[in-house]
Amino acid sequence: MEVLKEKVEEEEEAEREEAAVRAERGEKVVRPMEVRREEAPMTQEMLRDLERKLSDTEMAIPEKLSTFTKDTIAISKLPLSYQSNTLKEEHLLQVADSFSRQYSHLCPDRVPLFLHPLNECEVPKFVSTTIRPTLMPYPELYNWDSCAQFVSDFLSMVPLPDPLKPPSHLYSPTTVLKYQEGNCFDFSTLLCSMLLGAGYDAYCVNGYGSQDMCQMDLTRDVCPLTVKHQEVVQEEEKVPPKKYAIKPPRDLTSRFQQEQETKKQEEIKAEEERRLREEEERLLDVEKAKTDPLHGLRVHSWVLVLSGKREVPESFFIDPFTAHSYSTQDDHFLGIESLWNHKNYWVNMQDCWNCCKDLVFDLGDPVRWEYLLLGTEKSHLSLTEEEEDGLNDDDDVENLGKEDEDKSFDMPPSWVEQIEISPEAFETRCPNGKKVIQYKRAKLEKWAPYLNSNGLVCRLTTYEDLECTKTLEIKEWFQNREDMLELKHIDKSTGLNVDYFKPGHPQALRVHSYKSMQPETDRIMEFYDRARVDGLVKREETSKTMTEYYRGRSDFLFYRHVSFGDRVKKLSLNSAESNPRPIVKITERFARNPEQPADEDVAERVFLISEERIQLRYHCRDDHITASKREFLRRSEADNKGNKIVMTPDMCISFEVEPMEHTKKLLYQYEAMMKLKNEEKLSRHQAWESELEVLEILKLREEEEEEHRLTISIYDTKRNEKSKEYREAMGSPQADPPPPPPPPPPPPRRVMHEEHLRQVEAPLDYLAPFLAQLPPSEKMTRWQAMRVKDECLSDIKQRLIDKANLIQARFEKETQELQKKQQWYQENQVTLTVEDEDLYLSYCSQAMFRIRILEQRLNRHKELAPLKYLALEEKLYKDPRLVEFMKVFV
Amino acid sequence: MNWLYDSVEPRVMDEDLLKLAVGEQGPRDEAGQLARQEGILFKDVLSLRLDFQNILRIDSLWQFENLRKLQLDNNIIEKIEGLERLVHLVWLDLSFNNIEAIEGLDTLVNLEDLSLFNNRISKIDSLDALVKLQVLSLGNNEISHMMNIIYLRRFKDLRTLSLSGNPIAEEEDYKMFICAYLPDLVYLDFRRIDDHMKELAEIKHQYGIDELKQRENLSQAQLDDERAQREELEEHKAAFVERLNGSFLFDSMYAEDVEGNKLAHLPGVSELLQAYKDKFVIICLNIFEYGLKQQEMRKVELDTFNECVQEAIQENREQGKRRIAKFEEAHLLSLNAIRDESEVTNLEMKVAEHSKDITELFDMLMTLEMQLVEQLEETINTFERNIMDLVALFIENVQSLMAQCRDLENHHHEKLLEISINTLEKILKGELDEDLPYDVRALFVDKDTIVNAVGTSHDLHLLKIDNREDELVTRTNSWCSHLVDAIHKDEIMRNRRRVKEIHQYVDHVQNELDNLECSEIID
Repeated sequence: MEVLKEKVEEEEEAEREEAAVRAERGEKVVRPMEVRREEAPMTQEMLRDLERKLSDTEMAIPEKLSTFTKDTIAISKLPLSYQSNTLKEEHLLQVADSFSRQYSHLCPDRVPLFLHPLNECEVPKFVSTTIRPTLMPYPELYNWDSCAQFVSDFLSMVPLPDPLKPPSHLYSPTTVLKYQEGNCFDFSTLLCSMLLGAGYDAYCVNGYGSQDMCQMDLTRDVCPLTVKHQEVVQEEEKVPPKKYAIKPPRDLTSRFQQEQETKKQEEIKAEEERRLREEEERLLDVEKAKTDPLHGLRVHSWVLVLSGKREVPESFFIDPFTAHSYSTQDDHFLGIESLWNHKNYWVNMQDCWNCCKDLVFDLGDPVRWEYLLLGTEKSHLSLTEEEEDGLNDDDDVENLGKEDEDKSFDMPPSWVEQIEISPEAFETRCPNGKKVIQYKRAKLEKWAPYLNSNGLVCRLTTYEDLECTKTLEIKEWFQNREDMLELKHIDKSTGLNVDYFKPGHPQALRVHSYKSMQPETDRIMEFYDRARVDGLVKREETSKTMTEYYRGRSDFLFYRHVSFGDRVKKLSLNSAESNPRPIVKITERFARNPEQPADEDVAERVFLISEERIQLRYHCRDDHITASKREFLRRSEADNKGNKIVMTPDMCISFEVEPMEHTKKLLYQYEAMMKLKNEEKLSRHQAWESELEVLEILKLREEEEEEHRLTISIYDTKRNEKSKEYREAMGSPQADPPPPPPPPPPPPRRVMHEEHLRQVEAPLDYLAPFLAQLPPSEKMTRWQAMRVKDECLSDIKQRLIDKANLIQARFEKETQELQKKQQWYQENQVTLTVEDEDLYLSYCSQAMFRIRILEQRLNRHKELAPLKYLALEEKLYKDPRLVEFMKVFV
Repeated sequence: MNWLYDSVEPRVMDEDLLKLAVGEQGPRDEAGQLARQEGILFKDVLSLRLDFQNILRIDSLWQFENLRKLQLDNNIIEKIEGLERLVHLVWLDLSFNNIEAIEGLDTLVNLEDLSLFNNRISKIDSLDALVKLQVLSLGNNEISHMMNIIYLRRFKDLRTLSLSGNPIAEEEDYKMFICAYLPDLVYLDFRRIDDHMKELAEIKHQYGIDELKQRENLSQAQLDDERAQREELEEHKAAFVERLNGSFLFDSMYAEDVEGNKLAHLPGVSELLQAYKDKFVIICLNIFEYGLKQQEMRKVELDTFNECVQEAIQENREQGKRRIAKFEEAHLLSLNAIRDESEVTNLEMKVAEHSKDITELFDMLMTLEMQLVEQLEETINTFERNIMDLVALFIENVQSLMAQCRDLENHHHEKLLEISINTLEKILKGELDEDLPYDVRALFVDKDTIVNAVGTSHDLHLLKIDNREDELVTRTNSWCSHLVDAIHKDEIMRNRRRVKEIHQYVDHVQNELDNLECSEIID
């Protein structure tokens, strides 16, 4: 510690000298232009502050805004390297001090360097040694963007105690990770460690940033998730005209008129553009920020990644708060004081009057970048190496003569422990698994997977106005949902909801957009057609129509459109459950079947069900422009003699591209019509099934939304183990309960419920109602006891009989109903539609099932009733309240 | 021969019998009613059953062009005949007859299922045409030789075979043999062949099969070779330079040239001949290569032309289709409107309007078509010019090369003449050392003889060259004119078809309107 004190004193002296010198010289500053005026008082103040701090090192811990202060960190548990300095480190500190002194001597108008802040154990540590290059064991953290995203997610931001000064403390990345918060220096140190570990040429930068950046204020940034990808319009290659290409027909329109027309169009367009531009400008004005009085003075730390390693083509900055990358010319970065990695420390000697735009990141150039240690190799980026070398030597002699002795001095290894991120922490990411970021007109909320019971991991709310009051749309991302829901998009302005699913939904649903979950309203469902047997791609519904698109079917159907009519109000009892809407028209389109001649390959068929007409349109032959058509009128009338007319020529009107012999025959037409009739029935059935499917999907979706169960990977041992235990515990609720509190109700809820009822019932006092009839607070006589017993027994007898009767009555009712239905079916069998038939069949099977169950119950009841009676009797004999009377009696 | 119905009179397959059968087996119920009303044409029948009819001779089946399935079982047929026209036949049942030889099936290339059960066949053959054969039933016959099985190896699709009840089925090796030699067979004598059996059979007959396979492969390879050669020759013929890629022309020159061959025995002539041949062949090769190159160029030209024409036609067709689709929409609407209209004046107005629309459509489609015709005509003319030029160039160049050949021949002739005369002189002087064959020496009687002989040879050679040249030129020219004619004809046909189509369509539409009007008026 003595060495340290000495050093501190030295430094203090140096500072004083420097201050004095500066005071004498007045303010000649090499600083960003715009701040020059304000700098004088600032610097003075800062210096004073520094002096005060240095004069008593023991107490000079400025209050951090952070919630984890020194006392919350268990210093004693930290390893030794955290609590003291090795010899080498001491030496390095001395070197750094002497460097600092020389620097302040040579550049008196610049702020002191950020070299060795105190760590969590109040030990000064050189900034470079705080960087601990580590390659994370997660493949997701191999690239810079994911690393930056992780850091920005994982830590929560704490502003600097003094926004105009670098912090006095710089904690180790391990501590920062542990407490998950930090200031910009903590952020960039951690990120830099990770990037260096991943092989990037990364540096921590101490410099000046814009207000937005320093305060991590994204409210003026457009949320990256809202930016729509601009589709790259590929310009069509112009095919050179072929040798024998036909000449276009002569254009007979007036060229003058055309020109006039285009001129007019252009004018309108220009006007439109101008208006748009004005609008935009106006908007921009509104959004423009107020000017910051401290612009250019706010200290910030970020990460610089130089080109060269890991195939980085161009150097760039990463803001560790937001994980955004910026070009080195970006407006947000206003100046650089110094930068360092785990090997060396460089001081920027270039003028930052034009922000960072003119900076050259050639760290081997000693004119632009003053290095601290000579020994570390730094490849020269510039091509004129020899010349630079020459200059280098000169500078050495002039500026840093003393440093020659340090030539062989290497940066000591990092004092920081290995950086470790536990898998849980990695998965949870944000502190407590939740993070909210406010963007311009948007709010982004993130959660860790499995944190929300419905699997919500991300929500983006977009607003119409800057104040974020009017919601425009909400996008919610989900993960690990059992129903494979991936994204839910709610458009508030139109009320349209769009759900996106990953492959694997039980109904192969891909996209579901709807306004309400009510059936027979506007909705579009898209499916993974490969997962479906019928190859359905999309189903669009409106209140009156349903359109289905198919792909890859063996019958070449690709389109079916069904129009429904108004629901007929049926008052009959038998079809009370479902009353399908009548189908007015079914249109089906088929793709060309190459195996059939075009004249026999139907392209479109329309069933006009209400008009009893069927229209067919065939495919067009390869060299024709017209296609065959055929129309069937399926009127089955009787002629004047009362005979049924099977087929007459006017029942089939056809237009044939090439009239054929056999198609004129009535027999052919009749057969075709019969076939079509069958197919019509099938199509109607299909339409009806589609409707049912929609209902089913809607029901399923509602259930899924309510339950929102999450899937857990079988490799996820932690969660899966839990669920295994959970399941095991559920499997045997009665068998000796495990030490932890008893599990919640198991899935077969009904069984559990009954069990529960029984448990409640058990302690019920079966004698209570009878005892209550007796006059209170009187001793029971034997007679009374007998009466109580008899009453109780007769009561149970009555109840058992009642129950038997009840079951019997229900049984009879069901049977009767079934018989009635069967009778109805027998009578109407001929006129029934397919749907009705299906309904009937399903009803029958259900009714049979109910009857069977009732029968079983009745039998069981008959068996059990006497036993129950006997059991109660025995119980009554043994009842403590009655036992004495009984004994006597017996 | 103890047929129960030996005494029964054989029936003749005549029109009535067939009509009856067709009527019986035709559609039933309502459809049958219709069918009877209209009558059924024999060529619409797909399946026919003629069993237990005591038929002796198959006859009168030629009208059943589209027949797929024919049952002639349980008759007394003795000879397979009269089935030549039934080329679509897939299923043929001739079981329980008195057939002695398989014949008359050479046109039934689509046959998949053939049953000849219970006949008197002793040899399997004449089935070569039945490449799609899958099921063959030959049980209860008189096949006695195992080698008949090998004949069946050529049917790649054969899966089911029955041979039980034949003498060969009695042989102990019967099953193994068949399994080994027909490895693709799945069912034999109504039973599935198990894999174990197959393996065993294969091991047992391995040598025989290998040998057979070897032979089959060899003959297959030979066939392939021949085909390849034929194809190549065809290709060369298309380029009009066949057989010019060698000494074929030169050899043919000397093939009939008696004198020339005789003269070859003269001293110094063989060397001369060799040199001449080498040069000649080189020129021939030049012609050959040039011909192939030109052929390629013509092909490219033709392809581009066809492609462009097709594109133009497609484009035009799309336009036409669009117009018609648009019209059809309007058509339906206006038909409905007319149907709903009750006021007479309005009705007439609407009808008139619609007829105007129809005329407009007609005009539009016809304009499109005329436009296309004009465009195509121009293109075709350009193509014609180009291809003519190409052909003319080709002929010209070939002719100049042929002229080189002729020069060579002339040169050779002069040399030969010189040598001949020298030899003659030597012979006359009696200085000749070598012995010449007698017939050669006979030429050297006097100057006229020898000059005549050499001249004859020369003339023959020139004739051959001229013939070849003429052949090439005529064929090339005729190809060219045929091509151009075909293109013109195709275009005319296309145009007529389209015009007809348009007319037909417009007539149909107009008819629809008229019908509507009529019914309106009647109402």
